[in-house]
Amino acid sequence: MANQSGHIYGLTILSPILESNRLDICHATELRWYLASLPRNHTSPFAQVSSTHFARLVVMDDVVFVGAPAREEHLKSRYLVFETNFDGDLNRYLTRMAVEIPELVNSVWKHCVGYPGLADPNAFIAYMKKCQIETTFFFADVNDKTVQQNLKALQVQSALSRFVERNQGKPASEVQKSFGVLLKRLAEAPDPLPGGIDSEKTAAEDRPYDR
Amino acid sequence: MTNINGKAYAMNAITPMKSWKTPVLRGFFFILGAFPFLQASLKNLSFIHFARWVIIRHDQFPHLSARQPLEDLHYDYLIFLSNFNGTWNQYIDAFSAVLSSGLNAIWRWSEKFPGSVPVTPFKSYIAQVQFETDYYYNAYPRAATNDVKAALRLQSALNNFAKTSQTLSPAEFETAYLEFIAQVQADLGSTGMAPVGT
Amino acid sequence: MTDSTRLDVTDIQGFVLKGYNFPYARYLFLELLHARDAQIFIGQVLQYLTTGERWDKKPITTVNIAFTHRGLLSLELPEPTLLSFPVEFQQGMRARGDILYDTGKNSPEHWDPIWRENRVHVWLAVNAQTSAALDHQCNVLLQMMDQTRGAKLLQPQDASAVFIDGKPTSKEHFGYTDGFGNPDFKGAERNCVPGQGKLTMDGNWEALATGEFLLGYADESGELPVAPIPHLLARNGTFMVYRKMHQNVATFRNFLEEQGRVYPGGKEKLASKFVGRWRDGTPAEISPDHPDPAVVADNDRNTNFTYGNDLNGLHCPLGAHIRRGNPRDAFGFNGELVNRRRIMRRGLPYGAYVPEGLPVRDEDEHGIIFMALNASLFRQFEFVQQQWIEYGNDLHQGNDKDLVIGNHGGQGKCVLQGTADPQNPPFLCANLPNFVQLRGGDYFFVPSLTALQMMASGTVDPR
Repeated sequence: MANQSGHIYGLTILSPILESNRLDICHATELRWYLASLPRNHTSPFAQVSSTHFARLVVMDDVVFVGAPAREEHLKSRYLVFETNFDGDLNRYLTRMAVEIPELVNSVWKHCVGYPGLADPNAFIAYMKKCQIETTFFFADVNDKTVQQNLKALQVQSALSRFVERNQGKPASEVQKSFGVLLKRLAEAPDPLPGGIDSEKTAAEDRPYDR
Repeated sequence: MTNINGKAYAMNAITPMKSWKTPVLRGFFFILGAFPFLQASLKNLSFIHFARWVIIRHDQFPHLSARQPLEDLHYDYLIFLSNFNGTWNQYIDAFSAVLSSGLNAIWRWSEKFPGSVPVTPFKSYIAQVQFETDYYYNAYPRAATNDVKAALRLQSALNNFAKTSQTLSPAEFETAYLEFIAQVQADLGSTGMAPVGT
Repeated sequence: MTDSTRLDVTDIQGFVLKGYNFPYARYLFLELLHARDAQIFIGQVLQYLTTGERWDKKPITTVNIAFTHRGLLSLELPEPTLLSFPVEFQQGMRARGDILYDTGKNSPEHWDPIWRENRVHVWLAVNAQTSAALDHQCNVLLQMMDQTRGAKLLQPQDASAVFIDGKPTSKEHFGYTDGFGNPDFKGAERNCVPGQGKLTMDGNWEALATGEFLLGYADESGELPVAPIPHLLARNGTFMVYRKMHQNVATFRNFLEEQGRVYPGGKEKLASKFVGRWRDGTPAEISPDHPDPAVVADNDRNTNFTYGNDLNGLHCPLGAHIRRGNPRDAFGFNGELVNRRRIMRRGLPYGAYVPEGLPVRDEDEHGIIFMALNASLFRQFEFVQQQWIEYGNDLHQGNDKDLVIGNHGGQGKCVLQGTADPQNPPFLCANLPNFVQLRGGDYFFVPSLTALQMMASGTVDPR
């Protein structure tokens, strides 16, 4: 199935953007401004739809004219490109969008042709599928792990690296005990948040070179 | 607008294709999909999280309302959407250096594609057909795909070691721990911020 | 790409084509004054300029010259020419700080004043066999400056080989033997040393394309590198990066001592893991367990190795300094990804050498004058610095930096791979300090003799 690689679904949606005769609203511009204002870290709406690995929203103004002798042509509408890579199945993902991040969905797709709103999640799903373009070829480097599995592994990696450093050269019995503690802490640690603030790091640690 | 989130870069490119060439490209992608070993070089480069090619025929742009004008296009279009690690220049340099025949097989059907070698006209073409991302989300911005894979390998090894680690004698633990560290030693790289884009 | 690129060696500055291996050097950093006087000065320097011609007998001194972009500006080269230089050269090294990780302890506020203040126009370099000859030649040049009123000395920078028991060596201040592994390129007349070029499909070594190191020739990707106009100005010239790298010798020695006590292989083996060579020069890849003077002495062996059979880093650690500087085939693809990232190094230590065991302080003036030549600063030096030295993704080291020269800020770490043998275990060094700190530098254009003649006679037209 071209849209899928392993457990990962690659959704590509092209939603035509509304044109307007009124000069004070250009849907594409308003949509751009809205997208520019959205947070991109753990407070992103897509962090909430936590099965999302990577997602993008792009206002595509037109096709590209590559130069003579190619023919110059133009789209009659602008399109919103929504590309997302997520765990699991399409219906569940679209339902999560409708239910968990209605503000984003409304704010974005209200600018698009034929958007039915979220009163009926099934209508929304049908609408999105009408805008779906079949992926011709999908490449996924890691296609068998969920977002949570990846984040947890990264958390473990970071903790183990610090553990190795702190216990280098220590007597075996002490290391063994500390290792037991590490395992317990890792098992009990809350799931790391997707989208990019590792709560153990401070802003200063993020830029050590500025000291 | 930004194409970058953490260590990932969101590239979007659209190129026109004469309609008769589209089935040829579909054929190539079909073969690529059917024979994973052909993707080996792509995997070995190890700097793409997810990438997709989407062919959209001239009459396939979604049309949802009578009031939306119908598109009247001559060309089919190939849309390329990539989530990769590294800078724009680094990415294209690497592809041009080691995957040029694969790139050519995909993009030679697009109008005015200059070939992927030499690299300067190739970069000009990409710059021309690339369009900017308005919003980009990355669930693990501090991790490149190498970091993710390293972490998964490490975690798997840890889970294995964890099964017996507390039941061994200290001497046995010492040996087993050393073996465990030797197993994961290439997977201990730190995660963090990416170098600035160039 | 022609195999028999014959270079006109009399048109290329000798500094580009050969490492002189003279024990003394002085780099005179100049500000050019009135354009017309500066042109006359350059014309006079030309008479002393050392070219790449073969020597029957080594001269006592050599003279070479290079210019920053603002130096070319003050020579009043035409605007279209000035704007046709590569962007990174126009900006100068200081403006590229974010790319190069010249931040924190390496940021310009810590640089020597001439670099911090962006004042340098010219690098006028004298290399000499004796200290007296060095002084003499420099005086000649300084007198020329005074007479023509074409330039003014901002500051001299002395450099010299480290002398041990009265003899010049190729050691640097941390005790490592330096100077191996400069790239071979087509047309350079020196002998091809196995390991210095690029890998061929059948595992041999071949010289790299001339255009990787000289403007006006095809590079490894089959095109001419970005070069200024007119062609005659660019041809046979190249770009140089100059970086004054202060070495915190006390910190390094203490670190090595301390960690060497804990590391089962001992201090010297640990030192070999940091760099990828033992301090005597033996490549760790060839001889991971002990130094081997026979290998060091044999030019057919001392840089002749690949990493393809050591993808676990058990011989040479994955993040070792020389593996980062030149990964060879470590990324697969027979080294293809590395061929356009090579740099030609020409540096020398500076400051008084303090033998091991004697007291030394970090604040003492000693370090390395790092100079590297390449056709494209952006694609070669800047890339290696940004992606392989100060970052580790391509080497599968995550964000970890080069242990020896990385800008750690007290935070870095490095994993040295080992085996499950307690005598040779994996070893993690953490909380790394800055062993090396940047004191300044810039990007220079090293013109050909023809170009210098044009500049001296004010006959540069953009087309």
